[in-house]
Amino acid sequence: MSRTEGIMWVEKYRPKTLDEVVNLKGVIQSLKAFLKTPGTMPHLLFAGMPGTGKTSVALCIARQILGSNWRTFTLELNASDERGIKMVRERVKNFARYSRSGLADIPYAVIILDESDQMTATAQSALRRIMETSSLFCRFILICNYSSKIIEPIQSRCAIFRFSALQKEDVMKHLRYIAEKEDLDLAIDAAEVIIEFSEGDLRRAINIIQTSAMYREDASISKNTVFSVVGQAHPKNIQMMLSKALNGNFMEARDRLYELMTTYSLSGTDIIRQIHRELYRLSYLSPEDQAELARIVGEYDFRLSQGANEDIQLSALLAQFARFTKSRVGSVSG
Amino acid sequence: MWVEKYRPETVAEVIGNEEAKATFVNWLKKGRKKRAVLLYGPAGVGKTALVHAAAHDLNYKVIEMNASDTRTGKAIMEIAGPAASLTSLDEFSLDIKGSILLFDEVDGIFGREDRGGVGAIVKIIKESQTPIVLTANNISILKLRPITNASDLIKFRWVRIPLIVALLQKICQTEKMSSEREALETIAQGSQGDVRSAINDLQTLFQGKSVLRKEDVQHISARNRPLDVHQTLKEVFSAVSPKEAWSILNNSIIDYDTLLLAIHDNLPLRYRNPENLATAYNILSRADVFRGRIGTEVWRLLPYVYDLLAQSATIAPKTFQPFKLMFPPTKFSLLKWTGRDRAILESICAKIAVKCHISKRLANLEFIPFLRMIFKKESDRATKIATWLELDEKSLEYIRRMA
Repeated sequence: MSRTEGIMWVEKYRPKTLDEVVNLKGVIQSLKAFLKTPGTMPHLLFAGMPGTGKTSVALCIARQILGSNWRTFTLELNASDERGIKMVRERVKNFARYSRSGLADIPYAVIILDESDQMTATAQSALRRIMETSSLFCRFILICNYSSKIIEPIQSRCAIFRFSALQKEDVMKHLRYIAEKEDLDLAIDAAEVIIEFSEGDLRRAINIIQTSAMYREDASISKNTVFSVVGQAHPKNIQMMLSKALNGNFMEARDRLYELMTTYSLSGTDIIRQIHRELYRLSYLSPEDQAELARIVGEYDFRLSQGANEDIQLSALLAQFARFTKSRVGSVSG
Repeated sequence: MWVEKYRPETVAEVIGNEEAKATFVNWLKKGRKKRAVLLYGPAGVGKTALVHAAAHDLNYKVIEMNASDTRTGKAIMEIAGPAASLTSLDEFSLDIKGSILLFDEVDGIFGREDRGGVGAIVKIIKESQTPIVLTANNISILKLRPITNASDLIKFRWVRIPLIVALLQKICQTEKMSSEREALETIAQGSQGDVRSAINDLQTLFQGKSVLRKEDVQHISARNRPLDVHQTLKEVFSAVSPKEAWSILNNSIIDYDTLLLAIHDNLPLRYRNPENLATAYNILSRADVFRGRIGTEVWRLLPYVYDLLAQSATIAPKTFQPFKLMFPPTKFSLLKWTGRDRAILESICAKIAVKCHISKRLANLEFIPFLRMIFKKESDRATKIATWLELDEKSLEYIRRMA
């Protein structure tokens, strides 16, 4: 059995060259110009939502500039895993020093710094210095969701590229390509459900189609299979937690919350983001109610960013939800 | 100070801890296994008093060093070294058997100022010809390990309340003060078995009075005593105003972070009415925001945390009904329960992160939900994916359990 047989499809179908990238026509064109004369390429900053191809494009560039040796001369770091000044100083600096002595016939080494907007401002300042001193032999590709979270001096040293969410047609094209390669029959309506739930995030779309492929009943992936996969993979606890809270049952809602934080190990920010998204899917709420609840969620999301303790802020939010329904239904004594 | 005035002179006058007393006297007389003995237990139960009383009874001289002395190794050797190695002149000239070297509150030895302190004490223990007695509140401190290994250990417990009441009564008689028995009981109970603080409280309460009634005590003891978590929570939730709650919180020995969590856990038990609960949580959430703004430096904001905590506990004093308090914080116990699972999940996410060029956080959000489904049913393809991700059996078992 080959070890690549079980490869996750997000990796298997990750583009190897810029030509294989399905979206981002404009971005790809400018980048290809750099590839012709790699020496002219500045540091790059890719900004955009998850699953829009930032990391893939960065890896393509590394592969195309560095050739067969690309793994040796590419350093991939993730700022959300190794935050702070120490990470920048030690790992990046060491790599820069090492690559200076060993550059063969390649123009420079490539350092891909994913989720760089997770870095503190201090770490970013240190990074800026390192970018300057190492620019003779290193190129940085910084990847982030929001370029506004990157300090000005770094932004001004980079060519900035914005990655927009994928268009429906692009996702559709890619899904059909995968289905063809995997010998799957993907129904049009099934593909549409995948596209709807992946919200322009190609990574999620591919994970959904791979999981659906394992749950299909025959050669074809039906709409129902996709629905059941999406329904099960999507944590129901958020919905249940919300409906408990909105029914005024604070204690049970809080139990759900604790389950999300422990068993599912979700952070407070991730939970509150999902609450916000789920809110608009609750059909039993009127648009006015949704708007009012969203205002409350926003307030507590802000407090979460200021506060010290996530369970306190999220519990406080659930308590507001529990009051919300009571105040509409009528007063309750106790 | 009454604490000094009524310090026991003889072993018989030391109240409580009969077994520890007997063991210690026996140790001094002959029963030494090691050269040193460590008396440990809560503050104010008579450890140091017993050493002096026993020395008095058995004709020893006590050379004392306590936590307020500078305790670098050198300082200890200078003062204690000669006393420990030479037999005192007194022994020949007077009717005294010898000396006891007393190191009081050895758990106070840490930090920069006491560099080498523990080592010096252990050295003295090894070389000494004189019996060495040490006292400590807490011997679980890792740094004290060398000392506890080199010493015999005698444990002290809280002194029982009736014994303290009897002692307080005796003091009142000697001082020619009259007091209601209930007042003395309240003081004794409030002391939680700490005799020294009970005597201190008694003296404080008699300030400017010759008669002590139970009303006087109830009023003052609640304010003056540092409160433990249960007491703090009980009193803070039953307080009739934010002001009262505030003074209770300020007198508590519990730190603000524990208070935040403890109030958070008990809030839904205190307020059954969703309206009140929401209001209280809104305030508590702001307390937490201030705690967040403090971080590790802006400590001048701390008073606002206390203000808001006090408010959140007292938004509807009239609705108060006793309830069963929840402690320790669920946060701590939740972390304990899932610590092992958390580590497994983390290692899985780390593997996905490397293979799929993604952060661990996104691996948990975007991959784990699908992997849960993929591994739910055992299949050839699932096995291959597990192989590619290099997941071991333990990780697979965990993912299946999640589903």
